[in-house]
Amino acid sequence: MQHEITHGPSFAMLCVDLEPGESVLAESGAMVARDSSVGMSVQLNGRRVSGFFGKLKSFVIAVLRKLVGGETMFVSRFAAGTSRGRVWLAPRMSGMLSHREMKGESLIVSTGAYVASTGDIDLRVRWGGFRGAMAREGLFFLEISGTGNVWFNSYGAIETIDVKGSYLVDTGHIVGYEGNLTFTIRSAGGGVVGFLASGEGLVCEFQGQGRVYIQSRNITSLASWLSASLPG
Amino acid sequence: MKINILYRPAHTMAQIWLAPNESIVAEAGAMVGMSTNLALQTQTGGLLKGLKRLFAGETLFRNTFTAEGGNGELLLAHALCGDMAALELTPPGYFLASSAFIASSPHVEIETRGGGLRGFFSGAGMFVLKATSQAAGQIVVGGFGGIVEMACDGNLVIDTGHLVAWDAALQYKVGRSGSGWIASLFSGEGLVCHFSGKGRVWVQTRNSGAYGSALGRVLPARVS
Amino acid sequence: MQFELLDKPDFTILRVLFDAPGEQVLAEPSAMVARDTAVQLQTELTGGAMAAMKRKLLAGGTMFLNTFTGTAPGQSLWIAPGPEGDIEMLQCDGAAPVFLSSGAFLASAPTVRLDANWGGAKGLFSGTGTFLLKAEGHGALFLCAYGGIHTVDVGQYPSGYVVDTQHIVAWTGGLDYKVRSVGGLKSLFLSGEGLVCEFRGTGRLWISTRNPGSLAAFLQAFRRVGGRGASGS
Repeated sequence: MQHEITHGPSFAMLCVDLEPGESVLAESGAMVARDSSVGMSVQLNGRRVSGFFGKLKSFVIAVLRKLVGGETMFVSRFAAGTSRGRVWLAPRMSGMLSHREMKGESLIVSTGAYVASTGDIDLRVRWGGFRGAMAREGLFFLEISGTGNVWFNSYGAIETIDVKGSYLVDTGHIVGYEGNLTFTIRSAGGGVVGFLASGEGLVCEFQGQGRVYIQSRNITSLASWLSASLPG
Repeated sequence: MKINILYRPAHTMAQIWLAPNESIVAEAGAMVGMSTNLALQTQTGGLLKGLKRLFAGETLFRNTFTAEGGNGELLLAHALCGDMAALELTPPGYFLASSAFIASSPHVEIETRGGGLRGFFSGAGMFVLKATSQAAGQIVVGGFGGIVEMACDGNLVIDTGHLVAWDAALQYKVGRSGSGWIASLFSGEGLVCHFSGKGRVWVQTRNSGAYGSALGRVLPARVS
Repeated sequence: MQFELLDKPDFTILRVLFDAPGEQVLAEPSAMVARDTAVQLQTELTGGAMAAMKRKLLAGGTMFLNTFTGTAPGQSLWIAPGPEGDIEMLQCDGAAPVFLSSGAFLASAPTVRLDANWGGAKGLFSGTGTFLLKAEGHGALFLCAYGGIHTVDVGQYPSGYVVDTQHIVAWTGGLDYKVRSVGGLKSLFLSGEGLVCEFRGTGRLWISTRNPGSLAAFLQAFRRVGGRGASGS
C-alpha cells in the first residue's frame, strides 16, 4: 500500500494506492474519487467484534458515538479487488491531514478529527470534563490505539507545543496530545466579568511533560467572526 | 491578456493584465480591485441566454471589463476559499460545474446544459455549463479546496460535489456511489459521476455542500 | 520580545516569545490560542475611558483589548484570528499613520497608539459593523484578513486604484480615498459589485482576497431556521 498527502497544509487530500486485497477504512463522506475497480462497502463505526451480541453492542456504541462524539455512525471500507486501485479521501473543513503510524501506543485527538485508518486501529471516545456552563466546543476526545496507519485532520495547520510544567490552550484549538499530561478545563479570564469581557472561551490547562498539538484556527471563532456579517 | 494566479491554493486571486482595448468577461461579484481605467459593462448576453443561466444556478449577469487608454489591471476572486486554474480553450471544449466559472476571454461561449431531472449535483442546485470557443481563448475556473488535474484513462469515479471541470470529450454518467440500499443511504456519499474515455478531469479537494453543512450547524439560526 | 509568523500564508498564526519579564503585547479579544500559564492576561479599556467611548459611539467594535504580560524569559504566547487567512506584520515608524478596518486588527506592541477616527470614515464601512482605526507611533502592528493579503503600491497607478470596500484591510496615511458605486446605478445592482473605494497618491494599500459577506451569503442556505429572534448560545 502506498499513500500520499497532497495539497497540504490548506486543503490536504489523501491518495491511497491499494494492492489487490488491501483495504482502507474512512469516515463516511470522505471519498473524493476512486478507480472504478475499488469496491466500497459500509460498516458500523464500532470496535471490531463478531457475533450477534457483538454486533448489537457495536451498534449501540456507534449510536452513542454519533450522539456525543461527533463521529459519523458509519464508515466506508474501500477495497481493491483483483487489480490495484486508487482512492482519494478528504475531510470537510480546510486544513491539514496528518499521518501517524501507530505501533501499539495511544494518542488522544479531538473528536471529529478522524479521517481514515488501515490495520488494527481502535477508536474510543473519552470524556474530557468541564467546569462551566458555556461549553460550546466539544469536550470529548477520541483515544486512538492499536497498530496500523491513521490519518486525522485539523482546521488550519498543526503546530507542536512541548509542555514542561503548565500550559493553557483554548479548547477549540486542541488537535491532540500525548505523553505524561493531565489537564483541567476552566474559563480563561478569571471570574465571570473576565470571561465575558476578555472574549476568551474555555481553556484547557495541561500539566506535566508531553506534547500538545494545536491547530491554527477553530470553528467557533470562525462562527463568531462570521456572525457579524450574517443577514437575519 | 496575461493571467497570474496568486496565493494558491487556498486564497487564490487571479491578477489579469489587459492591453489597451482588451476585454475580459467575469462573474458578477468576482471583482476585488482594479486600476481606475477599466470600463465596466454589465450584460445579460441576450435575455434568453441570461434566463438559462439563472436556472443553472449562476447569477444572471456577467461583467465585461475593458482597458481604456492604456494597460489595465483587474483582480478577481471566488466567494469561498480555494484554488483556481486557467485553461486553454481547444475544441471540443469543457464542461464545468456552474459555480466554477470565474472569467473568460470575450468570445468564449458559455451555455447551460441540463443535468437531467434529478440534478447533477446532489441537492446543491447546481447545473453543468459548457464552454466552447471558435478561436483560441482562456477560461478561469475556481473551486473550493485545492484543484487537482486527474487523467482519466479508462474509468474513473468522482463524487459530484468535488467536480470543477472536465474535457468535453469524456463520456460521463451520474449515479449512486455504493451498491445496495444500505450503502447508498448511509454511506454519506452523495452522487458520483462515472467517467469513461480519455481526458482530464479537474477535481476540488473539498466539497462545498459538506463544508456548508458543517459550518451552518454552528452558526446562529436564521429568522426565516 | 520576538515575533514569528508561522504557517503562512493560509492559516497564519503569530507566536510571541517573551525575552524579559514585563514585556507586553496587546491583542484582539478571543484571539488567544495558547500561552504559558504564567503569562498574565488583563482585559482593559485601551487608551482610557474616552478613547473607548469614542469607539463605542461609532456603532460597533469591541471596547476591550487583551494585554498579555510576560513574567519570565522563554515564555510563549500564540495568537490567531477567527477566519482562515494571512497575517501581515507592519513596523510603524512614527512617520505616516496606518488606517485599518477594525476587523483587521490582530495585535500590536503597546507603543503603537490606537485611535478610532471619527470623521475619516466617509461611508467606508457603513452597515458592516466595522469601523476605522488609526494606528500611530513606533512598534509592531499585526494585520489579519480573511484570505490572502495582497499589497498594492498605489503610486504605480497614476490614475488610481479601485477596491471593493469589503476587501480593504488597511492603507498608509497620505493616500486620498473616495467611496463610490461602480460605474453608475445600474451596475451597482446588476453587476453584483457593491461599493468601491478609489485610492490615489503615494502609499501602500493592503487588500484581502476573500470577504465575509460572500461566505455569509453562501452559508445562508445551510443555517438552521430558528425564529426566536434572539441568538442563543
